[in-house]
Amino acid sequence: MDNIKFESPTFIKRLKGMLGVDFYRLFHTPLFYIFLGIAGIIPALVSMGFSTTDPVTNQITGSTLENIWIMVASNEPLYVVSDIAEYANMNMVFIFGGIMVSIFIGHDYKSGYVKQLFTTHAKKQDYMMSKSLSCAFAMACMCVTYLIGTIVAGIFLQTSFEVNVGSLLISILSKMVMSLGWSSLYTFLNVIFRRYFGVSIASSFFFGTGILIIGVAAIVGNSPILNVFLYGSSVYACLSSNILTLLVCLGVSCSWTIIYIVVGTFILNRSDVY
Amino acid sequence: MEKVNAIEIRGLTKSFKGMYALNGLNMTVPIGSIYGFIGENGSGKSTTEKLICGLLVPDSGSIKLFGKDYTDPGVRVRVGALIENVGCFKGSSVYTNLKMQAINLNLENIEEEIDRVLKIVRMEESRNIKFKNCSLGMKQRIGIAMALLGDPALLILDEPINGLDTDGMRIMREILVDISKNYGCTVLISSHILGELEKIATHYGIIRQGRVIQELSSKDLEGRSRVFVSLKTKDMCNAKDILKRKYEKVKEEDGYLRVYDVNESENIVEYLLKEGHVVSEIKKNKIGLEEYYIELMSDKEGKK
Repeated sequence: MDNIKFESPTFIKRLKGMLGVDFYRLFHTPLFYIFLGIAGIIPALVSMGFSTTDPVTNQITGSTLENIWIMVASNEPLYVVSDIAEYANMNMVFIFGGIMVSIFIGHDYKSGYVKQLFTTHAKKQDYMMSKSLSCAFAMACMCVTYLIGTIVAGIFLQTSFEVNVGSLLISILSKMVMSLGWSSLYTFLNVIFRRYFGVSIASSFFFGTGILIIGVAAIVGNSPILNVFLYGSSVYACLSSNILTLLVCLGVSCSWTIIYIVVGTFILNRSDVY
Repeated sequence: MEKVNAIEIRGLTKSFKGMYALNGLNMTVPIGSIYGFIGENGSGKSTTEKLICGLLVPDSGSIKLFGKDYTDPGVRVRVGALIENVGCFKGSSVYTNLKMQAINLNLENIEEEIDRVLKIVRMEESRNIKFKNCSLGMKQRIGIAMALLGDPALLILDEPINGLDTDGMRIMREILVDISKNYGCTVLISSHILGELEKIATHYGIIRQGRVIQELSSKDLEGRSRVFVSLKTKDMCNAKDILKRKYEKVKEEDGYLRVYDVNESENIVEYLLKEGHVVSEIKKNKIGLEEYYIELMSDKEGKK
C-alpha cells in the first residue's frame, strides 16, 4: 500500500483528457466531415428551390431570392414562420447538428466505450462539459461550411450580395455562439435517452426544428421574450444584428449550457449509466 | 492501524425494478491478490463489478477502493476494467482505440505506453488491425491492454476467458499472472471456468443470490479440500449401498462412485471384493475449486 499513490487529477486535467478524446474522435472519424459536407450542401439545395429556369433550354437563369444572405438569416427576427424562405437559413445547421451529436454520443454507448470513460472519470460533469464543448465546436464549423456553401450558391445563381457587413458578421458570430447552447441541449437529450438511439435522434430533431417556439410565436406573435429560448435567440441573430444581439446570444447560450450541464450531471449521478 | 484492502464493500444493495440483484453484499479483496469471483448466472457478479466502476448507482452500502470512497477521482483514474464486451470502436484500429484511452487518461508518453501494454498482451504485431477484424481472443486481450493503460492499481475483469480456445486461455492466464506479479496490480476476475481460475487465483469470493456467501484464500481452499477415491464396478447401484455401510459419504457422479475422506484405495478394493464386486477402475482424487463450489452450492440449496 505504501508505494501505491493516488493523486486526484485537477478539474482542468480531467476535462483536458475527456476533451482530448472527443476531439480526437471528431477529427479521426468520418462523421464530422460528413456533416461539414451536409452543412455546405444545404444552401445549394435550398437555393435551387428559389432558382428560375429558361423553359426552352431548361437552364438556370437566376433566382427569386433578392439577396443571397437571406440564406444565412432573415432581415428581421421573425419567430412566426409564414413561408419557407424565412425558415430555411443557417439555423438549419442546428437541426443537422442535433443529429450529428446524437450519432456521436450514441456511438459512445453503442460501442461500450462509455464504460472506459465513466470508469476512469468519477465526475460525471466532465462528460457533459466535454461533449457540449466538442459538439459546439463541430456545429460552429458547420456554420462556416454553410456560409461557404451560401457564397458559392450566390455566385452560381448570380444573386445580390449587398449587405451590411458588420451586421452579417455579428449575425454569423452570434449563431456560432448559439452552437454551444444547442450542443448542450442535445447532449442533455442524449443523456436522458441514452439507451434509445432512435429516440435520441428524434428528440434532437424535434427540438432542433424549434417547432415549440414557432408554435408559441403563433400565439404570442413576434415577441422579444422568445429570445430567452435557444431557437428564439438563433432567430434573433438576423441581418439587422448589432452588438446587443451578440450579447443576448452569448447570455442565452451560456445560461442554457449551464442549466443543461448541471441538470444532466445531476441525472447522470443518480442513474445507471451502462 | 486498520488494514487497507484494494476493495472493501459493506452492505451493498442494488435493485432493478424492485428485484434485488445485490442484497447486503460484503466483500474484501486484499491488495496484490488475484481474486476469483465465482457465482451462477444472475448471482450479481457483473452488477457488483459495474458498481465498483461507477457504472451503476447503488441503493445503499459502501464501496471503498484502497481505503478511499469509490467516487474519489484519484482512485478511479487508477482502475482498469473490462466489463462484458470490450468498449472499443469497431471501425478504428487497435492502436487508435488504445490512443483514445491514453488521451483520456492524460498519459504523457502515449506511444511508449501503447507499446508497453501491447507487449504485455502479446499483440505488438496487431496494432494496425481494425478492431472489428480481430478474433474474440484478440478482442479480450485488447480490452485488457486498454485496462492496463495508465498503470492501474486495480483491474476488474468480467469473464475475460469465456469463449476462448485452450491456447487463448493459456495466454490469458499467463498475462494475468504476469500483471499481478510484475506490476503489483490487484486483479478482480469473474469467471465460470473454475478450473482455469484455480490455476491463477490467490483468493476467492463465492456469490449467491446477491450475497457473498464465502470468501477464502487458495491456502484455505487447500486446507478444506477433501480427498476422495473414485471407482467403477459392474453393478454401481449395489456397490454404492455396500460402500455406504462402511463409509460415511458415498456419491455417484459422472459414472463413478466417489468415496470421500478416504486415503487407502486398497482397503476399498478389498472390501468390495469380499462383497462380490470386482473394481474395474479406481483412482485417488482431491476436491478442486469446481467440486468445492458445487458442494457448497448444493449444501446451500439443501438448507434452502
